Amino acid sequence: MADWYTTFANSGFGTTLTKQLGLPRPAVLRRYEPGQPLLPGPVVVGSAGKGRLRDAVTAVLRDAGVTVQSPATADGATDGERLGAVVLDATGLAGPGDLASAHDFLAPAIKRLRPSGRVLVLADPPSDADSPAQAAARQAVDGLVRSIAKELRGGATANAVFVPEGAEASLAGPLRFFLSGRSAYVDGQLLTLSPADVPTGEDDDRPLAGKVAVVTGAARGIGASIARVLARDGAHVVAVDIPAAGESLAAVANEIGGTAFQLDITAPDAASRLIEHLRERHGGVDVVVHNAGITRDKLLVNMDAARWNSVMAVNLQAQLDITQALLDDADVLKPDARIVCVSSQSGIAGNRGQTNYAASKAGVIGMVRAWAPEFAARNATINAVAPGFIVTEMTAKMPVGTREIGSRINSLQQGGLPVDVAETIAWLSQPGSAGVNGQTVRVCGQSMLGA
Amino acid sequence: MASNSKPATRKAAIVGGNRIPFARSNSTYAQASNQDMLTATLDGLVARFGLQGAEVGEVVAGAVLKHARDFNLTRESVLGSKLAPSTPAYDVQQACGTGLEAAILVANKIALGQIESGIAGGVDTTSDAPLAVGDDLRRVLISLNNATSLQDRLKALARIRPGMIAPEIPRNSEPRTGLAMGEHAQLTAHEWEIGREEQDELTVRSHQNMAAAYEQGFFDDLVTPFLGLSRDQNLRPDSSLEKLAKLKPVFGRALPEGAEATMTAGNSTPLTDGASAVLLASDEWAAERGLPVLAHLVDAQTAAVDYVHGGEGLLMAPVYAVPRMLARNGLSLQDFDFYEIHEAFASTVLATMKAWEDPAYCKEKLGLDAPLGSIDRAKLNVHGSSLAAGHPFAATGGRIVASLAKTLHRAGPGKRGLISICAAGGQGVVAVLES
Amino acid sequence: MATTVLDQPPNMAALFAKAALTARGRGGDLPDTRLARTGVTVDGGNLAGYARVCGFPLTGALPATYPHVLTFGLQMALMSDRAFPLALPGLVHVRNGIDVVRPIGAAESLDLEVWAERFATHPSGATVDLCASVTSGGEEVWRGRSTYLARGAKAPAGAPESDVTVDVGTLERSVATWRIADDAGRRYAKVSGDVNPIHLSGLTAKAFGFKRAIAHGMWVKARVLGALANRLPESSTIDVGFRKPLFLPSTVTLATAQAGGGWDAAVRNATSGTEHLVGTIRPR
Repeated sequence: MADWYTTFANSGFGTTLTKQLGLPRPAVLRRYEPGQPLLPGPVVVGSAGKGRLRDAVTAVLRDAGVTVQSPATADGATDGERLGAVVLDATGLAGPGDLASAHDFLAPAIKRLRPSGRVLVLADPPSDADSPAQAAARQAVDGLVRSIAKELRGGATANAVFVPEGAEASLAGPLRFFLSGRSAYVDGQLLTLSPADVPTGEDDDRPLAGKVAVVTGAARGIGASIARVLARDGAHVVAVDIPAAGESLAAVANEIGGTAFQLDITAPDAASRLIEHLRERHGGVDVVVHNAGITRDKLLVNMDAARWNSVMAVNLQAQLDITQALLDDADVLKPDARIVCVSSQSGIAGNRGQTNYAASKAGVIGMVRAWAPEFAARNATINAVAPGFIVTEMTAKMPVGTREIGSRINSLQQGGLPVDVAETIAWLSQPGSAGVNGQTVRVCGQSMLGA
Repeated sequence: MASNSKPATRKAAIVGGNRIPFARSNSTYAQASNQDMLTATLDGLVARFGLQGAEVGEVVAGAVLKHARDFNLTRESVLGSKLAPSTPAYDVQQACGTGLEAAILVANKIALGQIESGIAGGVDTTSDAPLAVGDDLRRVLISLNNATSLQDRLKALARIRPGMIAPEIPRNSEPRTGLAMGEHAQLTAHEWEIGREEQDELTVRSHQNMAAAYEQGFFDDLVTPFLGLSRDQNLRPDSSLEKLAKLKPVFGRALPEGAEATMTAGNSTPLTDGASAVLLASDEWAAERGLPVLAHLVDAQTAAVDYVHGGEGLLMAPVYAVPRMLARNGLSLQDFDFYEIHEAFASTVLATMKAWEDPAYCKEKLGLDAPLGSIDRAKLNVHGSSLAAGHPFAATGGRIVASLAKTLHRAGPGKRGLISICAAGGQGVVAVLES
Repeated sequence: MATTVLDQPPNMAALFAKAALTARGRGGDLPDTRLARTGVTVDGGNLAGYARVCGFPLTGALPATYPHVLTFGLQMALMSDRAFPLALPGLVHVRNGIDVVRPIGAAESLDLEVWAERFATHPSGATVDLCASVTSGGEEVWRGRSTYLARGAKAPAGAPESDVTVDVGTLERSVATWRIADDAGRRYAKVSGDVNPIHLSGLTAKAFGFKRAIAHGMWVKARVLGALANRLPESSTIDVGFRKPLFLPSTVTLATAQAGGGWDAAVRNATSGTEHLVGTIRPR
């Protein structure tokens, strides 16, 4: 399901016309389908600096059935096959001088990148640097990756993962995610891993098999998509939404073989009822996705208390209350639980007319960061996902001009789909994402807003 | 007569229920058929309990007003639902007792070990009611259909007269007495001296109880919205004695001269569209699927009265059914924590309770040494009943069973509830539930 | 006394026409004639139609009032004959008594006999009884007596007082309300053969001095029995008096009460309370 312009720009006539007029030519993104190989072509792995991760990366990729080429082969361009991904291990940079080799490696490799290819740079976090020179080199990766992301065309993306000392074991899951079609609309992002006990031997097709997942706001839009993807990945989904949305909620639950649980998450006893339900019916919960959210837009000067309070209650307070209740309960939250909170680009960049919404969504980012250590202590994680412009029923109702501009001002020149958000959430929900904690991952196609 | 002892069997568990909000006649569900509503209700139940593709032992449901094409209504609804197509189903009809009777039938099969699980339900619409052609036209049309030659067909067609064309609309009246149910109830109200004010009081309480239950989220796991309706359309949270007092009586044609008509559109249930379903199972079946057991259906009883020539009120049969069931179970009327007396009319509930309190009546009509006595009003219809929710005939039983089971479950183990439902044709269906 | 056996059921419409044309100039005593038919069997289709129109369940036995339909043609033939002293148009059915000796099977072969008796004096004219007897295999199974009033007519000198009163107890409780449509007369005419114009339409009723069409008394009686079906004694005497005409359409009520091992019944107008029929049903 691509938007009309992307479809048009990729049609025979549309291709000709958009080329001649110099219009943006959004690509049809490579999105994940069950059974799909991790990458459509070989990957070339290079390094700048000492590169302590290269062997591990190579092993993960070979495990996933990907052909791994060395830079020499890539440079030689022996077989001419275009690359599915370019991975640069930039750990062990001593100073800015080491970045020259990054340039040497990346330039020829990216030239050979396929449409919807992936560029992934692995580096040490700048905050752990021993010297200003080292910090400068590490921080430089930030600007480098964000700029590559803006230069890439044809649906290709560039992202960076900071891997602190001791967090090497956390890399496999994020590595697979960023190279796969699951991260189609995640672009220009920098993710920092943390050390964790990461289980091995995960079923890549059904990584959530046997898990019970709660998704709030699951009746429609992004929430329904999250429910579908979690169910596809093997989870039993308890689909939650307000009672008034029960009809479509039941339809979603029936479609994915989950169960519908009608609940107003802002009710005083919402948390206890949810916990009671999870205990009685499922013996506990592995994944909670706080997706439910509302907008009540008005310029701040015109906004009444009701608009402010209702948005805060649903978008932030309910997430806090339910999460706290889950933590306080003795056993309903499984030890290696995953909480994923839906934030928003508005919470990062702000948005005119959305002071209440943006405040609530920014609050979510602060919340997951603050809670991360407590979750880490129980080998659990809590993260946020901040969607950019996502094409939904809601955006379909926006004025054409606003909608078209909103969907084009990003590096992928198109709006994302609910499934893009859902894939990111499903990835954060996996056991293999144990080393991603307290993070906010933007799913925005590298939006120019708040970047 | 009922037997005096029961064979050793297991008790069927009530796992939960689902219904669509009840809509006023010719309103939100005007375009929905019985099959549409029952299918949506089954699908809501499937979603609530994760029964997608599951084969339950049997689905039993019915409708009071049914089109000829709906001869296999329940099975057709099952085929259109998310249940496994291999789930058997059959229709039942016992007027307003249909829903509860369906639950009893399913529970009995579970009790006997013939099935492990089952769904009982009911549906009715007065918006999409079947219109029948008159007898004369019907006979011509049947012979037209049977005719084999053109000549025979023309002959049959020639028998049609303009006067035959007017359709017959089903009436909400008793075939043998020609009186609307409300007229019968008004006669009973008069006989038992049930006043206007006490009827209105009961009505207000029903609305208030149900409105409060909705506010508290009590119906969140009992109701699934349908066609944009998320609450019972008849519910008036702002109902008050003052407002009800302004309504004019709508029944009373059959009253003796000078008798006061006391029944209004407020203290009588309106025509309503809707559907309900209840999931029953053996304890083992529920446990295997991690499903709760809200309550067990302990026992049930039906009774009927001669309201035509016997001088008994049309809706008084539950009054007879309850003492028989109590005797068999060694219970008194006061041994219950909750009472669900179907509010066909406010006066019906009041007359039922008055009859149980009346020593002469209990002795002469019910053959009891002592009256059954009074019940604590605070335990009556605690989450509202038909006056507030409306009453799509066959759907009421399922609504009550699911609501009472949940009420008992929340009150804790060992709680007991009584269901009493009156039905057209002078019938009554009653049951005991226990958590 | 002479008995004439007819081979065919009489043609009712023709009899009504003949009776109307020969209404004038009648008088004298009752004829000594008896009309009879033998080996009569019931037409299943007609029986079903009759049961439907009168509200009887369709069973293997004849409704108590059905033999009246079988013998009615003979009554008509007797009354339309010039020898009959009273003019048929204007005769009013005021009382009907039936003795069900035993239930009659629908497949039985029946012998019918009809005669007139009891020319009697009535305060507003004279009455005559048309009697019918139905036998099966030589055993009498059913008897009927229809009393007709001719307003302004005179019974012969020395005639007895007519007896048209049927007494019932107080009947306060109405058990049913019937909305009687304006085609009730035509529907009953079709299944009973009683095509008397006063029942068929407003226009034809006016021609005979009624403001509107009136329901057949025997149909009202049949409906009362239909309402009590399965609650009647096997063998019974059913006696009804027809009071005021039941104009079509009307809404009426049925009141019943158990009495003497059987029933008392009354049919009254639902609003005015005007009594149309009172009757008793007693075991024999």
